[in-house]
Parts: sequence; structure tokens; C-alpha cells
Amino acid sequence: MSTATAPAAVAQLLPGNRVLTGAAASEWSGGRAVEAVLFPTDTDEVRALVREANETGTDLLPAGNGSWLDAGGWTGVRGGVVVSTARLDTLFHYEPADLTLTAGAGLGWRKLAAVLEPNGQWLPWDAPGAAAGTLGGAVACGGSGPLSARYGAIRDNVLGLEVVTGDGRLLRIGGRVVKNVAGYDLVRLFTGSRGSLGVITRVSVRLFPRPEADMTMVFEGGVERGLEVARAVRTTSLPVAAAEMDIRGGGASGRETRVVVRVLGSREEAEEVCSRLAAEIGAAPAGTMRGGESDVFHRRRSVWEERSPVVVRLAALPDQVAVTMRWAREVARRTRGEIAADVLGGVVRVKGSPADDGTAELAAVLMRARRDVEAVGGTMTLSRAPQAVAATAGWAGGGGGALVQRIKSLFDPGSVLLSRCP
Amino acid sequence: MSGRRDTLARAIAEQEERLLNCVHCGFCLPACPTYRRLGDEADSPRGRLYLMQAVVEGRLDAGSDAFQTHIGRCLGCRACEPVCPSGVEYGNLLELARQVGGEARRSPLLARLILRVFGTDWLARPAMLAGRLLRATGFPAFAARALPGEHRPGRQRASHEDGNEPGPVARAAGAARLGLAMLAASAPARELFHKRPASHSAREVRPVPARGNGQTRRERLGPPRGGGQAPTVALLTGCVQAGLFSRVNEATARVLSANGYRVVTVAGQGCCGALHAHAGALEAARVMARRNVRAFEGAEADFVAMNASGCGAAMAEYGSLLAEDRTVGERARDLAGRVLDVSRLLADRGPVAGAPLPLRVTYDAPCHLLHAQGVADSPTRVLESVPGLEVVPLPGAAECCGGAGIYGLTHPRLGGWIGSDKVRSVLDTGADALVTGNPGCVMQIGAGLALAGSRIPVVHLVELVDESYRRAGFYAG
Amino acid sequence: MIPDTLTRSLAEICGPGGVIVDEDRLLVYESDALTAYRHRPGAVVLPRTTAEVQGAVTAIARHGLPIVPRGAGTGLSGGAVALDGAVVVGTARMNRILEIDAANRRAVLQPGVINAELSAAARPHGLYYAPDPSSQTACTIGGNVAENSGGPHCLKYGVTSRYVTGLTVVLPDGSVAKLGGRGREAPGYDLVGLFVGSEGCFGIATEIEVGLLPLPEGVRTLLGIFDRIEDAGRAVSDIVSAGLLPAAMEIIDGPTIRAVEDSVFAAGYPTDAEAALVIEFDGLEAGLDGETARAAEFCRRAGAREVRRARDEAERMALWKGRKKAFGAMGRIAPDLLVQDATVPRTTLPAILKGISEIGKRYDLVVANVFHAGDGNLHPNILFDRRDEDELERVERASKEIMQLCVDSGGTITGEHGVGLDKKHHMPLIYGAAELDAMWGVRRVFDPSGVMNPGKVLPEETAPGWPGHGEGRGAAEGEGAGVAEPAVAAMAPP
Repeated sequence: MSTATAPAAVAQLLPGNRVLTGAAASEWSGGRAVEAVLFPTDTDEVRALVREANETGTDLLPAGNGSWLDAGGWTGVRGGVVVSTARLDTLFHYEPADLTLTAGAGLGWRKLAAVLEPNGQWLPWDAPGAAAGTLGGAVACGGSGPLSARYGAIRDNVLGLEVVTGDGRLLRIGGRVVKNVAGYDLVRLFTGSRGSLGVITRVSVRLFPRPEADMTMVFEGGVERGLEVARAVRTTSLPVAAAEMDIRGGGASGRETRVVVRVLGSREEAEEVCSRLAAEIGAAPAGTMRGGESDVFHRRRSVWEERSPVVVRLAALPDQVAVTMRWAREVARRTRGEIAADVLGGVVRVKGSPADDGTAELAAVLMRARRDVEAVGGTMTLSRAPQAVAATAGWAGGGGGALVQRIKSLFDPGSVLLSRCP
Repeated sequence: MSGRRDTLARAIAEQEERLLNCVHCGFCLPACPTYRRLGDEADSPRGRLYLMQAVVEGRLDAGSDAFQTHIGRCLGCRACEPVCPSGVEYGNLLELARQVGGEARRSPLLARLILRVFGTDWLARPAMLAGRLLRATGFPAFAARALPGEHRPGRQRASHEDGNEPGPVARAAGAARLGLAMLAASAPARELFHKRPASHSAREVRPVPARGNGQTRRERLGPPRGGGQAPTVALLTGCVQAGLFSRVNEATARVLSANGYRVVTVAGQGCCGALHAHAGALEAARVMARRNVRAFEGAEADFVAMNASGCGAAMAEYGSLLAEDRTVGERARDLAGRVLDVSRLLADRGPVAGAPLPLRVTYDAPCHLLHAQGVADSPTRVLESVPGLEVVPLPGAAECCGGAGIYGLTHPRLGGWIGSDKVRSVLDTGADALVTGNPGCVMQIGAGLALAGSRIPVVHLVELVDESYRRAGFYAG
Repeated sequence: MIPDTLTRSLAEICGPGGVIVDEDRLLVYESDALTAYRHRPGAVVLPRTTAEVQGAVTAIARHGLPIVPRGAGTGLSGGAVALDGAVVVGTARMNRILEIDAANRRAVLQPGVINAELSAAARPHGLYYAPDPSSQTACTIGGNVAENSGGPHCLKYGVTSRYVTGLTVVLPDGSVAKLGGRGREAPGYDLVGLFVGSEGCFGIATEIEVGLLPLPEGVRTLLGIFDRIEDAGRAVSDIVSAGLLPAAMEIIDGPTIRAVEDSVFAAGYPTDAEAALVIEFDGLEAGLDGETARAAEFCRRAGAREVRRARDEAERMALWKGRKKAFGAMGRIAPDLLVQDATVPRTTLPAILKGISEIGKRYDLVVANVFHAGDGNLHPNILFDRRDEDELERVERASKEIMQLCVDSGGTITGEHGVGLDKKHHMPLIYGAAELDAMWGVRRVFDPSGVMNPGKVLPEETAPGWPGHGEGRGAAEGEGAGVAEPAVAAMAPP
């Protein structure tokens, strides 16, 4: 076990109270077998760790709170050391009137919200898992949630980053002003690169004023009715902030589907949107949530995927929802799963757990799903899946062309950073 | 070269503020019909101004292919002027550039011939008479269709999309074909008015008192010179207009009278010189302008009514054309200030409504009315005043039809391309007739439509109003 | 001049009229909208399709000549200027909208489509394209992609990169890559985002997929008139702090007001005012009046002499026209202008505006400010006459001081115009060697042989071995031979 010494060499750069090993490390990593979990507290420490990893040939797995380390699918064959940025949680700069904030990558979502709320501001990021993780984790994963229809995806709202690249260089890219086209947009390259190019240590983001009114209408019915309502919401010209369609269970109770429509704006505007939308849909909602109730409801939804052994993401243009939805239902049927579809963004997610003897069948379904979804120009990604399923069905489509490979080797020439991307 | 450069340099030095005003922002590019089609910046207003500047700076010879080709390719539609934030007076600069270009290299024989004919009364009158006689035989319409041609809507653009014109033989054939078709298109649109006789009493509508509202400030008229009396209007009868469109002149006089204007005739007037000025033959243009200044002075009219927008734009610029002339300069400016398109004069009076004309028409804005004179709303208001007339919008109405004086003859391919786009646009509207306000446009679009096999007539705005008034019995006694 | 063999192959690919090699005709391609830089290209080629671009790029690259992509030439940073006899690949003939997919609120188009015409084509579907650079009636979407263009309404809606969802690009080696596409969800690196704003250094986008937005139901436009520009700046900060999110907030200062009012685009601003603040809200009719009233109150409290509301669409359009054509209208004040594009944190606006005005006074120069105040994106325009050498010298020094002032306050050197040729030597003001090196690295990923738009964006001296520099390429032509070479020095007529 010559590799066992290499992680130790990296780990010893930090004091013992900021290193987890053995069972504690595995437990922190959601059951994944890792050599150690390290908690640097400043950028210099991160640089030192990355450099040592390059020297010793140790695999590093950048993480925030580690909430997705169990998802599987990381590249690399060696055990690896997790570098968590959770303790890089300093708030460096927050100027409410500028609507910008700069903080360490480890700043947790709750702490962030606590800072922003008194100023009537928020960071409207509802990508899966964002609310359970760190600022840096959300940026590294990129992604987008239903609110991106209104506010843009995460990558549209990151102003600047400090990263330690895979070869230990420190880069400060972008800035903290809301418009900046100086040089190439490396911020977008690193956002969503899932730690494969570097460890994000500091983040500057664009904030938004919290709208006066936050309202959520819930429409219920059977699947067909749900699809009709979703179509009405998708094609309305009314300013809907976000809309999702949920399907629970495989049955046909007539109430297994609900469409959740979120409306944000001034009180007058939000009330007007709700009443006009209900008229366009031709039905009153089963319920309407307002203010804090609506907010809490959505915050809870953003961790919808946590701890499900299978999470599949099918994305296509919104009017191809018939294809994505058909396969989502096939997957749900085989995993006793649930579906949450982003009506405006065209992303359909399924979560569930396959029966013990059902993994082969699930993998086969997923392969056919991928073929059909890609045929209409869409994509299918396994966010979380048992290794056996993913080995057959593949984590994501494509494989990244030569450009992707060259970018990876530009920033991580020693290939020390483990990731599912590219 | 240095002499030529001096001419332009001197001319432009006087206009320096105008040329330096160009900040190279490029806002004019999409407004230019030649740039839109060819995609070469040398065929854009900004590019042409840059070439002019290069001549001034001594970096480019005015006789060079580049200068000759690209200054020559300009339609002179002046669609670039309204979109220019710096207020570059492109039209004026173009005329100067053409003058310099013409001194450096002789323009084509055909172009010189045409200018000579229009600039000489004893040549123009017989030419027009011959034209009318030929038109009456019906031969031009027949021959134009029979001659082989390159341009029909829907044809591949491969042969002309580079902007290169054909060789001399093909060009002569193209010019002949287009010329004959244009002559045919100048004929009255009798079928339009007689095919569908009005089904209602002609005596129901009487003239109503004049009123004015809804116009832009630029299009609103001041009070007449003579205080409360009816304003006096003199009419420029023009050359082509008098020769081939006398019916339009007559209609203009009638509809103005019906709207309370006192129309006077002015003897001794002649061609306005627009064609010459646009071609850079500025001295010839000045000779014609002086003659008109003297002729119109005698009439003491409040306004000079124009029914050919090319002439209107030219006369409105007599002030700057004759700015150097100590004897008539001041008077030229005064005359220019009283020049108004007939649509403005009518719109200012309402105009009076006549009998219904149950037709569907579409309107194409002449460049020299819309861009050069800034008259946008008046023609629409006049059309809207005609009862029963359905006006459908014409996509691209603000773009040049490719007529541009004698452009169709000097640049048959590019002009034909631009013209065929206009024809397609007109056909797509499904209108019974196309209405416009300039004889050149009537003939160019009319020829294009006829060559495309369409029977849609092209009429002048006042012809429609006139017909409406005739049916209303305004002229019946 | 380019070799005859290359002329022939380009003519075969793009048609004889699609290749321009006549030196006189090439004159007009010397500059973009920043006329300080003049370099005649070796040739211009005007392809129509991805395949023609691919053929042209391959042929040019085979001859080892550099390539410069060009849209409508409305850029303000010298980005489309061809250094060292480069061949310009113009997109003017690639002006077709390939698809408007109303159901999915997206469009696919060629790069030469004009920004405003995309919105016009989308309008019958109840949609529009949100980024609205002031040159939107003339600039192309391809150019917008290259520069990551902004515009007044980006305050609420974000810049170009938020709307570009897919690209077909011809890479410098002549290969074609499809990045993203068919919606916003694409796994892997955000190569679309990386390509947007790369200023023609990574390749040529030949098909562009963008997202469209539903047209807002209502719009309210306010005009605040101020006697002091700092007060207008304060009103902007107050409005944002109060949680209001206008679609746009634009400041036009005294000198600019007077230029605009003198032009055909007169918007009715009082000519004795020192600042006009245009604020626009859009969205559902309901609630708009309330928001507008609150913003008006903030203007009054900040010291506005007068607050007006555009009464109708015509007035609103006139008001915006005045703003959007302001740059061109400067041509009426002085023959030359130097436009800057720094972005600063919004809260520093009042101090920065004061600082700029002091710098202008110190150097006895007219500085006209017109800018996207909501984003903190300043456009100080220094007006001058290049024939006055002393003035030229002062312009140069003032320009540098203004740039430094903005950077010191936490700002950046360019918010939307791009770095191009004009600001590459200012890059070290905001980025260190590591960052510049990383950018060189990414550039090499796309363009290993250094043929795409050499001499732009990154200062050569930060990457000495770069093949793109070539023999005498870029730096040798008078522009910015060294870091300290001032942008304005090049303004002297050749």
C-alpha cells in the first residue's frame, strides 16, 4: 500500500483537530471510503495541500459540506483525500446597497441567509442541494433550480472567484462589480466545474432584493390534468418566478399530481398574477401560500433529492416534456419514486430507490431513456446512483471533447483532482 | 489628382463640420439597402464617408475603382440620415463626392445622355412626346415582357449578389427592357378605377371646412402669408411629371382646390435639377435651380406644392445648392422654405373626405419624401381620410425601391435586386394597388410588378384622392 | 496583400464578390467605432454559412495569416481591427434568423443578425431578446457574443451570456465544435459561457442559440432632473438599497444633455441641468405605478429639481433615443472622443463622479458622462480635437487617472465594451501574472497556433513565447508597443 503514505503526507500539513481519518472520515463522507477529510482554514493552507498532493500523487476530492459525496461516480481509482472548504467561512465584504457579497467558499447557506435577511435581500439559488450546502459548493456544482427562469442560473450570478487550481496556482478571477468583461470569463469556466479544475476558496456573488410578496399556488389533480396546468403555466406571458410539477406514486388516484407555481413581486403585482393565472388555467388553486410559508415550502423542496439512492435528471426543451416525462415515469415506476419537473426550465428529476433485484432492469430502462432523450436534443444525468446502474447507463452523456480535456490538463496537469466532470 | 483632391478638399473643407461629425458608430449600416444586400462596408454610408475622407486626406484617388464603384453604387436614398445621431448631411456630401468622382472619370454614356436630355428643354419636350406616343401604342409593355431578363422575383441571386454589373451588351438589353417597362408603367391605371364602379350616390359628400390635427410638429403648417385668406399654392409641373404624368399634375391642382387652396400656375419653370445634383453635375443643377427661383418668385405663392418627392427634396435644398450665389442665394433659400409635398398640404386640411373608394391599397414611402424631407405621417393621414379605403401595411415600406433616379439603368442588377424585393413585398400584401408619391417610384415599382407578371397598378396618392372627389361630385359643376 | 493562391481559394469558397483584396476598398475596414486605431487588413472575406467560414478559416490558417472576425464594426475597443495584415472574416452576409421557437422561447440565428431585428422578429410571438446595447439597431448578435454585450436593461435582465444557450463555432484550426444548445441545461464545463466574451480570440461563432423573454405588459419611464450629478448618483444608490429593481437606470450628464438636445434625437431634457436620470420599470401593469412613485420620491429626496413621467410611448421612445444615440451625438461637440467603460461598485458612484469631474477640471477637458448607473457602469467620454497636441497630452493623462480612480474603488476596466486593442495594457491594473497566464493558457486551448485576433485582450509582454505575436505582429505597428503606451497616442492621424 504505497499510496497510503501519500495521503498521510498531505494530511500532516494540518493540525490533527482539522483532520478526520478512518471511520470518522468515511462517516463524514456519507459512507464513501476516503483516506482522510481535511479542513483548511485559509487559502494558503489549501495551496499547500494541493501542492503536496501534486508532489506525492495523492487524489484530492474538493468538497463543501460533503453532502453529495455519497452520490458516486468520481473519477480516479485511488482512495483520495477530501478537502473540505467548510471552514473557509469568513464574510469578507457585504455592501447591501451594492447588492454584492464576498465570502469564503465554506459560508453555509443558513449563515448567509441570516446575514442577508435583515437587509431584505437574498441569493435566489435553488439548485438541488444548495440550501443544505456551502456557497462554494453551490458554485462548484453550478446547476440551476426552478427560480433560474426568473433570476438566471448560478453561473449568471457569480461575479468573482478565488480558486486554487489543480497545480496549486492561486487565481483571483472576475471581481465584485456586477458588469465585467475584462479578459476571458474564467468565472464561468470554474462555476459548475465540480472541483475538477481547482478548489474554490472565495466567492463574490450578486444579490437581489427580496420581493415584497412571495406567493405559491398549488394545483392538484391527475397526471393528465397536471400536464395541462403545466402547459398553461409554461406558455403564459405572466411573470411566473418558478413552477414545478410533482408526481407522487405510480397510481392514478386523481390527486397524485400537483403543480406548484411561485410568484414574486410587489404585493399588488403578485396578487394580480395569481388571479389572472388561475383564470388562464381555468381552475382555482387547491391552496395558496404567502410570505414565510411560501419561502419555507420552497426551501424544503430544494433538498428534495437528499439521501435518495437514485436521482436522475432528464433535461430537454420544455415542449419535449412528453419524452422526458414518459421516461421519468418509467424510472419512477421501477424505483417507487417521485418526480419533480421544472415546468419552465424543462428539467425533470426523479428520485427513488430500486428494488434489490431491480438494478439491472433499471439500468436497461435508463439506457433507453438516454437514447430517447438525446434523440430530441436533451440530456440525461444520473445525479446519484448505485455504481452498478451507473456503470451500465453512464453518469452523463457525451464525454467532453478535446477542448474539455485540454482545459482539464491546463489547470490540473497532474490530474490530482477527483471529479465527475469532465 | 491633386486638383481633384483640392476640389473635394475645398468642397468638404466648407462642409468639414459635417464630415467630421461622423463618429464611425455604424448606426447607418442596417439602414442602407446596398450594404444590407452586399455586406461590404464599402457599400455602406459609413464606408462611403470614409472613402470621401480618404480622398480629402490624400490617401485615395477619386478616380480609383474603389471610389468610383462605391460612390456610384449609392442609391442616394438617404435612409442613413434619419438614423445618424451625429447629423451627418450625407445627401449633400454624396453630391459633392459625385462631382469630384465625375471630374476624375467620365460617367457612363447612357447616364450622361439622360442628364443632357433632361437638362435641355428642346431635347426633353420631344423626348417626352415620343415617350407618350410610344406608350400609347402598347408596344413598351409587350416588348419589355418579351425581352430576356435576369430579374424575376424568386430567382436565384447568384448572378448579382456580389454587386457586379453585367457586361455592356447585357446591360444595354437590361436597360432597354427596364426602360420600356417603366414607360409602360407610367400609363394611367384606368382599370383600377373603372373595374369597380362605386355603388353609392356620388352626391352625398360635400366639401367640409378644413381642419388640421394629429400631425407632427415638423409636418404642421404655419398660417398663410396673406393672413386669413385661402393660401396660394404654386405647382412645380416638372419634367417627367409634365411629360408622362400630366394627369397627376391635374389631379394635384384639383384636390388642392377642393381643400381650399388657391392654385396658381407658374410660367417659365423647368426641370428641378434633382437628377443632375444627385449625379454630381452640380453646375448644371444650379443653372436649372436659378431658372426656377426666378420663375416662382413672380407667383408670390405661400407654398410650392410638389407631387414628385425627388423634386421636392431637391427644391427644398436650393438654399444650400445656391448658397454661394450672391444674386439668387437669398431668394433660393426663401423659395426652399416654401416647398411642401402635396401630402402635407392635404393633411393639414384634414383633408376633405370624398366618396368611398372600396379598394385595398398599400403605401410605399418614397425615400426623398420620408428620409430627405422627413414626411412620414401625412401620406398615411391622407389615405386614411378616403372613405372605404383599406390601407394594409407594406413590410419594408421605408426602404428604397431601387428606382433612385436612373439607378435602374446604371445598375440593372443591383437595382433589379432591390426592386424585386420590393415587388415581392407588394405582392405579399394582396393589395389591389400600390400607392406612392414620386414618378420614379411609380415607374420603377410598376415596371417591376409588370415584369413579374402582376397586373397590380401603381398610382400616385393624389390620383386616389382625386378619384374619390370625382365620385363625390366635387368637380361636377 | 495576401498571396494570390489564397485569394483564389477564398473566391472559390465564398464567391468572387465575397473576397475583397483591393487595397483601396480595404480602407473602410481600417477601424471599428473606435477610430483611434487604424490598420488596413490584408483582405476581407464575407462567407454565408458555417461551411464557408470553415473553408475560409482553414485556407487562411494554411497560409499562416492571422484572422479577425468582424460583425458590423460598431465595437468601441478596437477589437475588430486587423493588425499585421490579418484577414477579416466578416459576418455581414450571415444575417438569417434560422429559427424562432416560440414554444421554448428561443431562437437560432446566424451571427450577422442585428440585435434589434431579432427582437423585431420575435415580437409577433410576444417575445423579445433582452440584452439591448445602445448600438442595438446596428450591432450584430455575433458581435454581442464576442463582447458579452450589456445594455441599459441588463440591470434587471443580465448581460448576453445569460441568454446564449448554444453555439456552433469554427475553431482556429478549421474544425467545427458545437457547444451547448437546445436549452440551458448542458452537463460539463460551461464552454458556451467561456466562449461568450472571448472577443474573437477563440473562434468564430457561426450559429447562435439564444433565449427570448415574454414582452413585459407595461412600462413606466421616469426622468429625474438634477442640478448636481452626484445627487443623481445618490438617488440610484437609494433606489437600489430600498429593494426596488428597475429594468434600467441611466444617467446622462450636462454636456451630454446639451449634445443630445442639439441633435435630431432631442428628448426634451432641460439643457441647463447637470444630470438627467432615466429610470424604467417594466412588468405587469399592476404594481408599476406604485414602484414608479417610490422611485420618484427617492429622486426628489436626493435633490431632483424636477421629476417627470413619460406620458406616452412616443415620449418614452424619444427619451430612450436620446440616451441610446448619445455616443453618436458627441460628434457635435468635438471631433474626437475617448470613451471609457469602467464599472465601479454602485455605492462609490457619487464619489467617483465627483472625482471624474475634478480630473476633467484639472486638465481643462470636457468630460461627458453617460452611463448605466444602476450597474455602476460608467462611460466617461473625454472630448477633444486630435489636432491640438497639448490637449491630446492632457486627454491621455486624464484618461489614465480616471481609470486608476475606478480600479482603486474596487472596479474593473471594462463593463461591456471589451478590452480589445484599447485596454489590453490596462489588464495588469486588475489582474496579476497568474491570472493573465491562466487566460493565455485558455486562449492556447482554443488557438494553439495563435492565429485568432492576435494583439487583442491580453498584453503580449505577459506571454513572451506566444506564437500569435509573430514577427512584428501587433505591437510593432505603433499601438501600445509597451505597457505604458497610452491609448490616446494612437489617435493622431496617420
